[in-house]
Parts: sequence; C-alpha cells; structure tokens
Amino acid sequence: MISRAVLCPCPPLLARELTGRDPAVPGLREACAAAVSWLIQHAPRQVIVVGPAPSTADWDPGSRLDLSIFAPGRGDGGKPDLPLSLGLGALLLDQAGFPGSRVLQAVGGGEPPDQCIRLGEALAGSAGGQAVLLAMGDGSARRTVSAPGHLDERAIRFDDDVQRAVHDGDLAALAAVDPGLAHELMATGRPAWQVLAGALGPGAPGTAVLYAGAPFGVAYLVARFERARSHES
Amino acid sequence: MDDRVPAGPPGVAQGPLRLGRSEFAPGRLVIMAIVNRTPDSFYRPGITWDDAAALDRVHAVVAEGADIIDIGGVPAKPGADVPVAEEIRRTVPFVRAVREALPGAVISVDTWRHEVGRAVCEAGADLLNDSWSGFDPRLAEVAAEFGAGLVCSHAGSQPPRTRPFRVSYTDVMADVLDRTLGLAGRAVQAGVGRDRILIDPAHDFGKNTWHSLEVSRRLDEMTASGWPVLISVSNKDFVGETLGAGLEERLAGTLAVTAVGAWLGARVFRAHNVAETRQALDMVAAIRGDLQPARTIRGLT
Repeated sequence: MISRAVLCPCPPLLARELTGRDPAVPGLREACAAAVSWLIQHAPRQVIVVGPAPSTADWDPGSRLDLSIFAPGRGDGGKPDLPLSLGLGALLLDQAGFPGSRVLQAVGGGEPPDQCIRLGEALAGSAGGQAVLLAMGDGSARRTVSAPGHLDERAIRFDDDVQRAVHDGDLAALAAVDPGLAHELMATGRPAWQVLAGALGPGAPGTAVLYAGAPFGVAYLVARFERARSHES
Repeated sequence: MDDRVPAGPPGVAQGPLRLGRSEFAPGRLVIMAIVNRTPDSFYRPGITWDDAAALDRVHAVVAEGADIIDIGGVPAKPGADVPVAEEIRRTVPFVRAVREALPGAVISVDTWRHEVGRAVCEAGADLLNDSWSGFDPRLAEVAAEFGAGLVCSHAGSQPPRTRPFRVSYTDVMADVLDRTLGLAGRAVQAGVGRDRILIDPAHDFGKNTWHSLEVSRRLDEMTASGWPVLISVSNKDFVGETLGAGLEERLAGTLAVTAVGAWLGARVFRAHNVAETRQALDMVAAIRGDLQPARTIRGLT
C-alpha cells in the first residue's frame, strides 16, 4: 500500500532553466517543492514516479531530463528520450535532495483506465508499503483562446471535476475520467491520475490542494494525498 | 554563460574594457549614447543645445540602457568655426553637471583637440572619443596623464570637419587596420592603459558609402586584433544612401548595421536611438547565447 502520494504538473517550464530571466511560475515551483518535500518527509525507502508518455514502460531510475531538447545549449547531459513527465519528476526529487531508490514508470497516453488502475495497484503492491508515489500529470491544455490547444468550452468543467475529485479524495471519480474526452481536451495527465487512484485505493485518502490554476491556458494541479489520516482541506 | 565559442573570428582574445569606474567584460554589448552640445549637428540639430534638455536626455538614455554618455561640442560636418575656448565652454560645464548628477556614469567627450581633452578630463571625463584619427597627437598624452580611455579611429587622410572628396583605397580595411592599430600602439607607448583603448573604423569619415559597407562587412578583421571595437553608424549617410532613406528614416538600417557589427564582434555602439539599439543588441546577445531571453513560455506550458 502507498501511504503518501503527490500530484504535480509537468510542463517544461517547471524547469527554471527554461523560462529565461523571469521565473515565470515561482508559485507553481514552490508548491511542487513543498509537496515533494512533504512526500519524502519520513525518508521513504522508495519513490515511484509515474507520468504519461507515448507508451507504458519502466525507465532506468538513474535517468535525468535533458533540457537541451527544449533549449539547445542549456542541457546538462540528461537522457533525450526520457519522457518529460518522468524527467521533471526526477528533477523535483533531485531538487528536494532525495537520495533513496526511485522507480520511473511511464504510462502510455492511450492506456485504458482499468489498465492504469491495475498498474497503480501493482506498483503499490510491489513496494510492500515502503514506497510513496509522485504522479505527474496536467489537466486540459484547451482552457482559453490563447492556450496551446485553443479554447474548448468543455475544458473548464472537466478540470473543475478533476480538481473536485482530488480535493475530496474521490478516487472513484478519478478512475472514471473518460479517456476520450481527456484526449480531446489535451488533458495529458489522465493516465497518471488513474494510476494514482489504483495505487491509493480503495477508500478516500486525506488530501490537500497546494496549487490549482491555469496561468497559460493549461490546468496545473499540485496536491498531496495521505492514507490513514483524516481529510485535511 | 557557457563554454561555447562566441560569434566572431578567431584571433587575439578580447579582454575587459575599463572606463571610469566601470569594467565591461568581452561579451557585454555597450551603448555609447550621443548627447550633442551643438546647435548644428546633422541629426536632430540643436535638440540638446539647451543645458536642461541635454541633462534630461542624459537621464533618459541611461534609463533606456546607455552605458556611456558621449558629449560633443563640435559637429563633424563642415560649418562655422568652433574655437577651442568655445568647445570648452560647450562641454566642460556639462561634463561637470553630468558627473555631479550621475557620479558613476562613464563620460566620454567627442573631441580631437588636446586642450579640450585636458579640460574635460579635469572636469571628470573618462574617455576621449577622437573621431579624427589622431589629428592632434597630444590627445593621447592627455588621456595617459589622466588615466582616461581613448578611441583610435580611421578618417583616411582627412583633417577634422571635412567631407570625403573622391577618396579611394586599394584596400580600405587594410588602411583602417593600419591606421587604428598604429594609433592604438602609439597610445600604449604614450601611457594610455591597454584596457582603456578602443578602435573605430569611423564609418563615413574619409569614406564613401561603398567603403563604409566594406568595413561593415569585414569588421571581424578589426575584432580579431583583440582591441575592443567601437562602431559609430547611427543614422549616418552611408545608411541613408544605401536605403535611399532620409535622415528620419534610417533607424532600421542603423539597427541592421549594429546587429551585424555585434555579430562580428564589435563591443561598443555609439547611438542616437538608445532604446531601439538596446533591443537590437539584446537580441544579438540572446542569439549568441550571452544573454538569456527575458521570459520564455511559448511551447513550454
């Protein structure tokens, strides 16, 4: 069983090196740092990072993000084909100074919900209660006319529903997010949310939402989840 | 910022440029803002003839990103004689006023006369910008005496305040190099600090438009010498003739020459239009990788 989990978004701009002289999203970075710091507070034996990717795969846990794929010349010798979500998860763990073992688990963007949930259950089971989970994933990228995917009017309600489910610890609602609609709305975090639901379930964990916003038309959510603790927020 | 090879030719490595209290590292693109204390300079004549207007401009150009204030008391073009005493009257009190208003500013004075150089250095000038190619050899001695900097330029065989008349060169850049490097060497011998000397091809001075285009094209031959290169191209006639553009229509051309010059390794840019020049130079610096963009979001959200 997983005792603690954190959800963070995974836009490239989470890496400070990529936004130029302006920090652009200091509040978002602070929220992610606070969440990950809380996640590893009790020195877990292992952190499982799960994030969306073109296909489901287990990556070398020593892999790091290669920033030069986004900003040529600003890279630092990472792995160019490592999925962004896992690379940013690894970066957050590095920034938090986590020295322990890690698993980097990609989950395919087309993976159906039941597969994602089973993957979550399997990851939780294999850890024997000694691991925590860092799930990386974003809401819709179609929130405004200037968003990467332009405006889809269904996006705000979709993200509100996800945020409510996270806030309430309603894992069943996360497990029930429609992959087709998520795909249409460019909500790339959907498979990671469902792995999270599988890893934490059943029953409602305590939760706290540390950040919810869409400053560039993409929905970002930072939240923490804890088993065996009452609802916090 | 990183270990990439900067744009520009291989050659002697550039070192820091020291003027007044300031030190400019080799990758830094420096703007010298023009503040003329003349009633009759070619570009917007007389706009800073008035003391208050001139001081207002100094504050404005510093806010826009100027690093050096270049004060001139005599137009480059032919015209009414400006005796030494009058040049001093136009420049010295103003140098004092700028020094008092901005104690840390780098103050340059555009003059070829050693008497004027001495008076402005006593008043606080940090750099003597000799556009007339060492016409008065004692100017370098004054720079040395006061620890000031010196601009070593090329003006062909032209005396001050003359226009080129049927000038020709078998190789204009060779002549520019010969003259500017020779002057720089003589300045060092006179005691001017090596890190306070700039070389300037002096576009339009003793040159027709073809010559100025050639020195723009081959500026890397100057930057390869290791001396910091200053270019003074702002709104000049070679830009106007190249583009068929009137005096008020030369900004785009000026910025193009500025950008090419920066790419080829020039470090100091004498300019009327400081805000636009700063933007052009920041763009070049970002392309080179010497300056991070202000804020990058596109495609990264």
